[in-house]
Amino acid sequence: MSGSQRLPRIGVIGNPNSGKSTVFNHLTGLRQKTGNFPGVTVDIKEGNLRLPGGAEVTLVDFPGTYSLYPTSSDEKLVSAVLSDQKNEFFPDAVVYIADVNHLEKHLLLLTQLLDLQLPLVLALNMADTAEELGIKVNVSRLSEKLGIPVVFVSGRTGDNMSRLVSEIEKLIPAIGNISRKAFFEMDAAEKQVAEAVRLNLGENNPYRALQLAHHFEWLPFLHDSDRATLATIVQTKNFVSLRAQVEETLARYDLFTPIVEDSIQQPQQFPDTPTDRIDAVLTHRIGGPFVFIAVMLVIFQAIFDWSAYPMDWIDNGFAELNTWLQQTLPNHWTTELLTDGILAGLAGILVFVPQITLLFLLITILEEVGYMARVVFLFDRIMRRFGMNGRSVVALIGGSACAVPAIMSSRTIGNWKERLITVLVTPFISCSARIPVYLVLIGMAVPRVRIGGIIGAQTLVFGAMYALGVAAALFAGWTLKRYLKTREPSFLAIELPVYRMPDWKNVGLTVWEKVSAFIIGAGKIILIVSIALWALSRFGPGDAIERAATEAKQEAAASGLSEAETEDLTAQKKLEASWAGQMGKAFEPVIRPLGYDWKIGIGLLTSFAAREVFTGTLAILYNMGSSEADINDRSENEAKATLREKMQRETFSDTGQPVYTFATTLSLLVFYALAMQCMSTLAVVRRETGSWKWALWQFLSMTGLAWLAAWLVQIIFA
Amino acid sequence: MQRRYRSIPDLKIHETARALSFSDAALACKLTAMGFLPGARVEMVRQSPFGNAFYVKVDGVRMALRREEAASILLEI
Repeated sequence: MSGSQRLPRIGVIGNPNSGKSTVFNHLTGLRQKTGNFPGVTVDIKEGNLRLPGGAEVTLVDFPGTYSLYPTSSDEKLVSAVLSDQKNEFFPDAVVYIADVNHLEKHLLLLTQLLDLQLPLVLALNMADTAEELGIKVNVSRLSEKLGIPVVFVSGRTGDNMSRLVSEIEKLIPAIGNISRKAFFEMDAAEKQVAEAVRLNLGENNPYRALQLAHHFEWLPFLHDSDRATLATIVQTKNFVSLRAQVEETLARYDLFTPIVEDSIQQPQQFPDTPTDRIDAVLTHRIGGPFVFIAVMLVIFQAIFDWSAYPMDWIDNGFAELNTWLQQTLPNHWTTELLTDGILAGLAGILVFVPQITLLFLLITILEEVGYMARVVFLFDRIMRRFGMNGRSVVALIGGSACAVPAIMSSRTIGNWKERLITVLVTPFISCSARIPVYLVLIGMAVPRVRIGGIIGAQTLVFGAMYALGVAAALFAGWTLKRYLKTREPSFLAIELPVYRMPDWKNVGLTVWEKVSAFIIGAGKIILIVSIALWALSRFGPGDAIERAATEAKQEAAASGLSEAETEDLTAQKKLEASWAGQMGKAFEPVIRPLGYDWKIGIGLLTSFAAREVFTGTLAILYNMGSSEADINDRSENEAKATLREKMQRETFSDTGQPVYTFATTLSLLVFYALAMQCMSTLAVVRRETGSWKWALWQFLSMTGLAWLAAWLVQIIFA
Repeated sequence: MQRRYRSIPDLKIHETARALSFSDAALACKLTAMGFLPGARVEMVRQSPFGNAFYVKVDGVRMALRREEAASILLEI
């Protein structure tokens, strides 16, 4: 234990689909925080619980797992924590959650925990549905046979939660002094291995010692010397891990199946349930994919239409606040920092919240009702062609909201190669941050006409941008599949859970978690960039800015410009002289082949922190708002139209040619669809893959591809 | 001639058979952990849209398996 006073830690452990999170959420409510587990990149949720006696404990929600013999990185986390008593998440006691309707399949992990000598209480969850199905459990007999307290609960209705809490309280005195008879009797070879591990590594619990021998190759906390010792033990004792795992698992079933049969009464035949009837449609060979497409269309409708209203409110709210501050506060650079730096950044973050919330709400509901598992089944085959797994579809759909949480959802993929490819290609999917850029550029390049009187040409191009993203993701996956090698097995083997109504508390908490991952993860960076961008465009080397301002005034006086026009010209000259202007100009040669000038260059550079900054940057660069009276008095559409007009009038300073030709605008669109322009995503990729190597590789190859494609578009359409 | 064994892909839709053993150790490890044990009653429900996966019921629990995974599960004749 560490020096600081630490509350007793109660692990909440159970199989996937056991309703574990529902129970955890019920016990902790909103008092949760997500911790990061070093070494294995999985987040663990924690929440405190006050016991009736007044003491407090920390509940730790572990990812759902079937066994201590893991096949995905979520599951590996559970084995890693339970193998290492020094781990900060190591539970002092465990609440084991099992679905009472499938008790004969949900007790394997429990019996493994028994052998780790952890104080345990077994919570039989989903009591409400068990009653409907006519399942009867003799709780006292089950408790007696297993040697641990057993409580009947329902995470959904909250039934019996106080009983569970008082059983948790009773576990506290038992912490550290449990000694039960081993549930699973190891064979002679296993005993020898465990004994050798005890002698060499000092692990006194025989079953935990055996775990070290099974998992030494990947357990993150082992020192190299321990790893070498364990390798020698495994080799000299001829210990074949995989075979031992299967035999142990089967032996455990043989031991607990009679216990379950003895204490539970189940109806012999399960009737044809609604789940079967629903699946006859949703997983139908031909109908299934069509239903999926329809579901996706509804989701995209939601992103574009429904979230437009709250986005407008946020936009307008910030604009009004900004104007008010500018009028009220003294005319000083600190006011500019507040309005053009900090507030602009905050607006840039918050404006995406409605869209991302709505998208994750819908995705979470699909997950909660059980549909996502069916999507995995439907598309496993196609995704395998592109080096991924059916489970990757879930990440790719999430990528249309924000790649940051989407990439985190790839942890359920067991195979390293498939998971890496999913992480690397997810950012190709057009996320919400690209939408404002698309809107401005498409508005410029594509006329507002309806093709065949039905579908708008702009809508069509918009759809094409999404299709381009999906195509790029699949193409990248297909290419990577050829170059990445792994010997790890790849599995589909997935349970298709019974359909049920979503638990709204679960949905709410999950959405909150993902949205806050965006606000904190991406938001921080967007805010910093917004402030940096403001500073770079406000200040310049030496007295360059002052000189530019004087020059502009002289020029304006010479050509007899109006006051507003003079202000415009001054602002532009100042910007040109600023650090940002200098950077854009230095960068111009790289992007000139694509048809872009230095102003677009600044937009691109700032977008490398977060794409949506592009429209904001251009608005500053084309100096909207000063001469155009008060932009905040107009509607959103007018503001966009103004930016568009300004852009259309832009010319190259050396040749006088217009900047935004059809080809250039199209080329910019393609660039934005393909380039890796999000520092937050790169940070997450680094975290999930464990090194900067893949993040850097992703950045270079995506951006290189974007450059090449944008260049080709320029050549073809110019 | 009598075939020596058959596996899940040989099942017709709605046909049920008892699982005997698993021929792939890594998969056996995962399936047994999920509660798919030798002796389980396997019912073929349907194939996936692109043909390479199966929707099966194992002792009443719904599960999706790839063709190669399904082929490694040997059935009683």
